[in-house]
Amino acid sequence: MSLDWVGSDDASIDYSALRALVVEDYPGMRNALRLTLSNFGITKVQLVSSASEAIYHVKQKSYDFILCDFNLGDGRDGQQLLEELRHSNLITIETVFIMVTAESYYEKVVATAELAPDDYMIKPFSPELLRSRLESILLQKWAFRDVYRHFLAGDLEEAIVACDLLIRGKPRHLVDALRFKGELLVALGRFEEAEGLYQQVISLRAVPWARLGLARSLHHQKKDEAAEEVLRDVMEQAPEMVAAYDLLSDVCLAKKDAPAAQQALERGVAISARTVRRQQRLGEIAQNNGDLDTARAAFSNVLEKGLHSIFVTPSDFGNLCRVQLEQGDLQGVAKTLKENKNILQGSPEGQLVVAVAQGMAHVKAGNLDAAAKSVEAAAALRASGAHGDANLMLDLAGTCMVSGRLEEADSIVAEVARNAHDSESLLAKARKLYDESGRTEAGAAVLSKATSDVRKLNNEGVVLAQRGDFKSAVEKLLTACGEAPHNPRIMMNAVWVILKFIDQAGMDEQLIASARHHLNEAERQAPGHTRIAGLRLHLKEVENRFGIQRKGTA
Amino acid sequence: MTFNHTDLYAALIHELKNDLGLLSITLDSIAPQGEATHDSAVDSARLLCQGVVDRLQQALRIYKAIDQPIRPSIDAWSPHDAVNEIRDRAASLSRGRIRVEAALAPEVPEIWFFDRDLVEMALINAIHNSLAYARSHLRIEASMLEGCLVLTVRDDSPGYPAHILAGARADSSGHTRQTGLGLQFSRLIAESHDNRGRRGELRLHNDQGAVFCLLLP
Repeated sequence: MSLDWVGSDDASIDYSALRALVVEDYPGMRNALRLTLSNFGITKVQLVSSASEAIYHVKQKSYDFILCDFNLGDGRDGQQLLEELRHSNLITIETVFIMVTAESYYEKVVATAELAPDDYMIKPFSPELLRSRLESILLQKWAFRDVYRHFLAGDLEEAIVACDLLIRGKPRHLVDALRFKGELLVALGRFEEAEGLYQQVISLRAVPWARLGLARSLHHQKKDEAAEEVLRDVMEQAPEMVAAYDLLSDVCLAKKDAPAAQQALERGVAISARTVRRQQRLGEIAQNNGDLDTARAAFSNVLEKGLHSIFVTPSDFGNLCRVQLEQGDLQGVAKTLKENKNILQGSPEGQLVVAVAQGMAHVKAGNLDAAAKSVEAAAALRASGAHGDANLMLDLAGTCMVSGRLEEADSIVAEVARNAHDSESLLAKARKLYDESGRTEAGAAVLSKATSDVRKLNNEGVVLAQRGDFKSAVEKLLTACGEAPHNPRIMMNAVWVILKFIDQAGMDEQLIASARHHLNEAERQAPGHTRIAGLRLHLKEVENRFGIQRKGTA
Repeated sequence: MTFNHTDLYAALIHELKNDLGLLSITLDSIAPQGEATHDSAVDSARLLCQGVVDRLQQALRIYKAIDQPIRPSIDAWSPHDAVNEIRDRAASLSRGRIRVEAALAPEVPEIWFFDRDLVEMALINAIHNSLAYARSHLRIEASMLEGCLVLTVRDDSPGYPAHILAGARADSSGHTRQTGLGLQFSRLIAESHDNRGRRGELRLHNDQGAVFCLLLP
């Protein structure tokens, strides 16, 4: 930040150095906001009217402060802009983001969301109010500067130490520091400590975010009964806290109660329909539960509400088509593909979705010649590197089987199985495909070979590592990564043994680069997996020890 | 495009709210001309406009709370910030016509748990009252009493009329009606705050003027 801080701790803010971006679609309000900001000395102001303009400017240069209206007319709304800026690392935790909303309801909905703004203002607001809110956030960010520095460098342990300093020495920031530390502990997999921390906050006051954090720590320790009890309590006290429904659905799934998991998400969606990831999850669970109407509505909502969201991918179009096919609604599939033609044709992954969905539709309609053509199109796309999610690949395998391309089908299934050797639900789906085409035994052979190859390599690697032979373990697991390039568990094991090997034998530039790559890929496949943060930490620690200075590996 | 009733109502309210906000900023930008009739007319227009904006926001909150209690979203906030925020707003509304002071008792902790937006709404009600009736100054204070954070607005007005102090419901005449509505809302806000069974309170009394106290457990 280009802030001029005077003195060591008593910071005073130089507003004239602050670079501000105002995102507001209403020209009258835009100019009024410029006037407001200039009233307290903020003169470096860029005004824009849409989210895409905002993204353009943020890519050109960095801003210290973004003031954004939630409702931006057509296109992305303010929350989607914030999600995209944070998710794509266009802004960091140091940038102040204040959302302007028409009503206070917004705050309750996003307060405990992963991607919440620093603060929000309810329209209309006075210049004094904006100034005092901004000032208090800037002072808070100043107090947290060491925490953020370590956090951004990926040194979560050091960030915790910095939080502890605030907790001990700065009563003003006690609660904020506890909140941030709780999130760090969860990210590091230190759930028992997180549980204790949230209990400590609750003893001060049972604020909803602390109870949510407590429930999350309990859930990660597999204490799901206790987690559910806390969550039911939160819902009674603060029924609009949608994050609680998301967590409850995870808890219900852990308890193998899929109908209750669906019900929890449906309640969340009833409160806030616009969160893409909640709708995706609902669609997935409802489809597994055989509730196709709900699944279809949810997947449709993903596309409708998420039109401008970065969390929507070609897979989402595939998901909707899959439900429509299961319902026998071929016209619906055609309509989905036609309405979204431009988006889907824009990427190889999208084209693959179209080819697979059309292939399945042709099979359903009994039009095998046309289906064969779609399969060929899909094969060509795959040959040039297009990759689909596991469900889409299994759909393709099914169409291949019906078109008599058994070898191709087997190789696709084998690939899926290698990449998901420990996913019971995907393997079951693959088995069903073989059952339906009367090749149960052939299928069992394909699956057992694919999974046992990977499992064997993986297990051998792990055993070698346990014996301390990290060199051979690295070889085994990197071979396994080659066989199963999208398998998060294998990749995490590979990263682990590489780091152990370097611990033992010293730095190897090529291997550390490979560890970095596989860790990123594992995180892409399994975001938020409990092992990721620990591996990141280990990687960082190894890099530091050998003097590799990398920025922004977090 | 067709509207259903709720859409139309919501769109209308939001547009009015935005336009009023703009009107308020526009009025703020009219510089005093040192000419009494002009300046005092602009001043009353500004105050009235801001009063309408604040009341409209409260109305939207109350409207939502019609069939259910107000649910505060409690978090940790700084009483120091809250007092300064209200002082700045009051000073800007009064434009030097009335002296505005703020004071924080030393025993007030650095953070307290309350719903910032609701509490500020209640205090702004008191500020509008004081700006309408105070002779020369008003004072915003934070202190501790009975284990509660007390946020106080006191002025040098003739004080609350007896029936308000007696807790009577608002009557329908002129100023008192407005005062009554705001006070009722402030009372709802105070009572919506609850900490382990201890409920918040609104206490009113007269002491060289009107004294408005919000007790937050």
